Amino acid sequence: MTHIIMAGEQMEADVLVIGGGPAGLMAAIHAAESGAKVTLIDKANTVRSGSGATGNDHFRAYIPAFHGPDMEPVVKEVAKSQAGWTRPQSFVRTWMKTSFDIVKMWDDWGIPMKHEGRWEFSGHTFPGKPFTTLKYSGQSQKPILTKEAKKRGVKIVNRVTAFDLITDHGISGAIGVHGREDKIITFSAKAVVLCTGGCVRLYPGPTPGWMFNRADSPHTTGDGRAMAYRAGADLLNMEIPMRWAGPKYFAKCGKATWVGVLRDPRDKPVGPFVTKPDRIYGDPISDSYKGLFEDYMKTGKGPVYMDCRGISNEDYDYMMHYMKHEGLHGILHHFDEEGIDLRENPIEFMTYEMTTRGGIHYNEKGETSMPGLYAAGDEYFGGISAAATFGWIAGGKAAGFAFGRDAPSKNAGKESSEALKNLVREMRNRKDGPSWQEINVALNQVMSDYIGPTRSDTLVEAGTAHLLRIKEKARKDLVAKNQHELIHCLEVLNLLDVAEVIFAAIKERKETREKYIRVDHPYKNPAFDEKVLVCRKGPEGPLTEWKAIND
Amino acid sequence: MPPIIDEDKCTLCGNCVDICTEDVFFGSKKKQLPRVTYPHECVYCNACVEECPAEGAVRLRLPLPMMLMYKPAPTA
Ligand SMILES: Cc1cc2nc3c(=O)[nH]c(=O)nc-3n(C[C@H](O)[C@H](O)[C@H](O)COP(=O)(O)OP(=O)(O)OC[C@H]3O[C@@H](n4cnc5c(N)ncnc54)[C@H](O)[C@@H]3O)c2cc1C
Ligand code: SF4
Ligand code: SF4
Repeated sequence: MTHIIMAGEQMEADVLVIGGGPAGLMAAIHAAESGAKVTLIDKANTVRSGSGATGNDHFRAYIPAFHGPDMEPVVKEVAKSQAGWTRPQSFVRTWMKTSFDIVKMWDDWGIPMKHEGRWEFSGHTFPGKPFTTLKYSGQSQKPILTKEAKKRGVKIVNRVTAFDLITDHGISGAIGVHGREDKIITFSAKAVVLCTGGCVRLYPGPTPGWMFNRADSPHTTGDGRAMAYRAGADLLNMEIPMRWAGPKYFAKCGKATWVGVLRDPRDKPVGPFVTKPDRIYGDPISDSYKGLFEDYMKTGKGPVYMDCRGISNEDYDYMMHYMKHEGLHGILHHFDEEGIDLRENPIEFMTYEMTTRGGIHYNEKGETSMPGLYAAGDEYFGGISAAATFGWIAGGKAAGFAFGRDAPSKNAGKESSEALKNLVREMRNRKDGPSWQEINVALNQVMSDYIGPTRSDTLVEAGTAHLLRIKEKARKDLVAKNQHELIHCLEVLNLLDVAEVIFAAIKERKETREKYIRVDHPYKNPAFDEKVLVCRKGPEGPLTEWKAIND
Repeated sequence: MPPIIDEDKCTLCGNCVDICTEDVFFGSKKKQLPRVTYPHECVYCNACVEECPAEGAVRLRLPLPMMLMYKPAPTA
């Protein structure tokens, strides 16, 4: 029986960026432009990784030539949107103020930000309200951003998954595990930017037993949140649920690209906003009512269809063009194979599973609660524009921070890298025990049964006890037959940490408010007005603290 | 099983192996036909198809549980 040994390697940089989605690539580009030596590591390959892998097409932006000189109506509208409603207005203001510069940069680099030579806004818009989503052609955004990063000397290390931050004498880098070799890499750095994307695979997906049928990228598993939490940084709004909607059963975000009317089985529109397909609005009813599809099914009135019948030829071509840029090729291919024609066949939509709305508490400078640790993008959901904008901002700030401090000592990270080596070596050498799938499925069921749509003190209590048992078994018994399975094992360990925080946050927020529902506390508690719930690691598990919204 | 490689068209360039987000082709060897090791982890992002230089060398087959639900067009 061969005994697996983990090789070690050391790398150094001023700024370490973890995750090469749009946020991470923009952070790396800006840090490098500021003169820092930058290393970026990605679990996959930055050319096509993460949720923006094969494209996006809606970019929240304030464009003076389109909106006029007053930015405030746009700020107010974005602050109410799915991407902005849990953020302070000052955050949204910085975002919108910077967005135009980012748009110009992307356009210069070859990501087409205009439609037929002009600024075009459509989708995610309610009739009579300001337009906030710029339509753009993002199919090649990842290869282009990767090229721009390399041009500026960013060292990109693909197929390495960061698992822990180095916290000796402040944030001093991170430790990563190779996805194709038995190797642990210690990255020493003066500042770190976390950009690992969202938190998928917490709850069961639309297809039972089909772990990877997900609306967002399933290899974004809350790694950044878990790393930040273990290092002692604050997580925010973890108890607030978030749900997407889209085609059934082929789960994919990108709802606003569909130009149709959401109708019931008897062809009656389910919302008041549109009665015929209109590319400018799409059908915004599902922006303000995400549970729509599930509610119609539960009450027997469903299903609800995205009905594009009656679309003009011009709008049809427009929709098909943007579906390609939105990363919906898989769906387009399926249309061809099945003979589905959107001009004739209404497509059923569904509400996808939950995840957490919350994430790493980062402010409008990309700063987290720990000096030297920055975060951006879907480390706290904001969509592609927030990812690009705050990635850019965080990268610049991280470079500035790095210039003001000495390189970490040679011994930084030694202990944590040994600890990780041991954990990993055991998982790789163990012969019997649960696979990552077992743990992931066990986690999914406890999430959906105990802190799914129905949440209460007694459910949280029972669920937490079970979760902690699973967690203990995972740390002790997980088996990784190869490096690929090893990365999945690390992912489930991260998901378990994130889950524990969510349980703790739900336990603390004993009230019902907007999208957050506690069946045993069906009222708003004014004591929590203007406050947010922050979680951080304590000696016995997660600690919670209420903070004023702008802190 | 998805994705499917056409042995006759594949140039063994390894692009799909390099870029696949989910590392579905884990364990593939350089200059050999890509191995579809983890078909169940494919997310139908189409990245392998887009980065493949040989038209038609890699294609995706959607598993039945992911088929779209749609209304048939009324028959004349
Ligand atoms: C089909 C689809 C369409 C969408 N359309 C839109 C749209 O039109 N408009 C919009 O605003 N939003 C859209 N979104 C959401 C948008 O794609 C995301 O908000 C955006 O990609 C977030 O960027 P990010 O850089 O934060 O994260 P991601 O793009 O998800 O990138 C995260 C990166 O981190 C890497 N990573 C993860 N964990 C680790 C680790 N431990 N170590 C190292 N690397 C790691 C991943 O490999 C990945 O490269 C869409 C999403 C999907 C799936
Ligand atoms: S479609 Fe995407 S996930 Fe599937 S094999 Fe191709 S690159 Fe990998
Ligand atoms: S990218 Fe295309 S040609 Fe290259 S190895 Fe993959 S299937 Fe073969």
